[in-house]
Amino acid sequence: MADALGAFEQAVLITVIRLGDEAYGRGILKDVQARLDRDVAPGAVHATLDRLERKRLLSSKLGSGTPVRAGRPRRYYRLTPAGVRALNDARKAVENIWRGLKWPLVKARSMA
Amino acid sequence: MTIDRPTTLPPSWAESLLRLILRKEDRDSVSGDLLEEYREAIVPVLGAKANRWYIRQVAGYVLRATWAWGVLVAAICVWRYLLDTLAPIHYTPGVIAFRSAVMSWALMATFSGCGAWHAWRTGHLRAGVLLALIAATIGGYLGMAGTLLCLAVSHGPETMAAIEGSGGLFEGFPGVPLLLMIASVITSTPGAIVGRVMAAIYGWSRPNTKSA
Repeated sequence: MADALGAFEQAVLITVIRLGDEAYGRGILKDVQARLDRDVAPGAVHATLDRLERKRLLSSKLGSGTPVRAGRPRRYYRLTPAGVRALNDARKAVENIWRGLKWPLVKARSMA
Repeated sequence: MTIDRPTTLPPSWAESLLRLILRKEDRDSVSGDLLEEYREAIVPVLGAKANRWYIRQVAGYVLRATWAWGVLVAAICVWRYLLDTLAPIHYTPGVIAFRSAVMSWALMATFSGCGAWHAWRTGHLRAGVLLALIAATIGGYLGMAGTLLCLAVSHGPETMAAIEGSGGLFEGFPGVPLLLMIASVITSTPGAIVGRVMAAIYGWSRPNTKSA
């Protein structure tokens, strides 16, 4: 069984799916920032992309550069079949945890 | 549109530092992402303060590369402090020499390992030595904080006598971080040379990568 994915790892993997052919470092950073509604350090995104690639949940290839990047290439990411399986497992685990509870929660059930 | 200001550049030293500590295969893509964000999103909003943002981001990359090594250095320092206070030795010659040797070898192995790892990862000897120096600085001050915390928790007469018996407070505080920084440069250099040679023979490889 694959390692459990953290919330940030899931956010990055889902963003890679959403962006499709435009899933490169900065594009992923902007999308994750917008969806999580908080400031995210580029280093955190790059470290997560690197970790997910080492886990073989993502693959990457270099693209072309642009003038604003001083011609430096973009690295584009794609989910691997293992990445798709890991995301499906993560979603299933969350659904299992929440099964039987109404969302949004109104108040915690008393322990007494 | 930032494309109108293509010459907007972050501090060159910060960009050089970033490129030095990145793996060869990530050097252009990661520094390009940061440059694109700097030019398109940060400069238009922060203006002159954009450089501070860039330096903060580079510091984040440096910290990610060194914090684990720094924690290891701090753990070795705190372990020695605890050993000297919980099992005081009062200058028993053979015992203190053994403890000092174990600590010194553990620190040298850590600095060499840090230098080798980063020189192998980046392909730069300088990166190995520099990151080991930063790890030693982090470790030295973290160790000092950890030692102070232990001292705040337990500072009875026996503990104070044990500290005096193993060199005194002065040796433990301002002296150790500085000593670690010097030792890190000396001992990480051979490690970094090994790492650089390893990088030339067995370069760092990336899984699942396709060329453009």
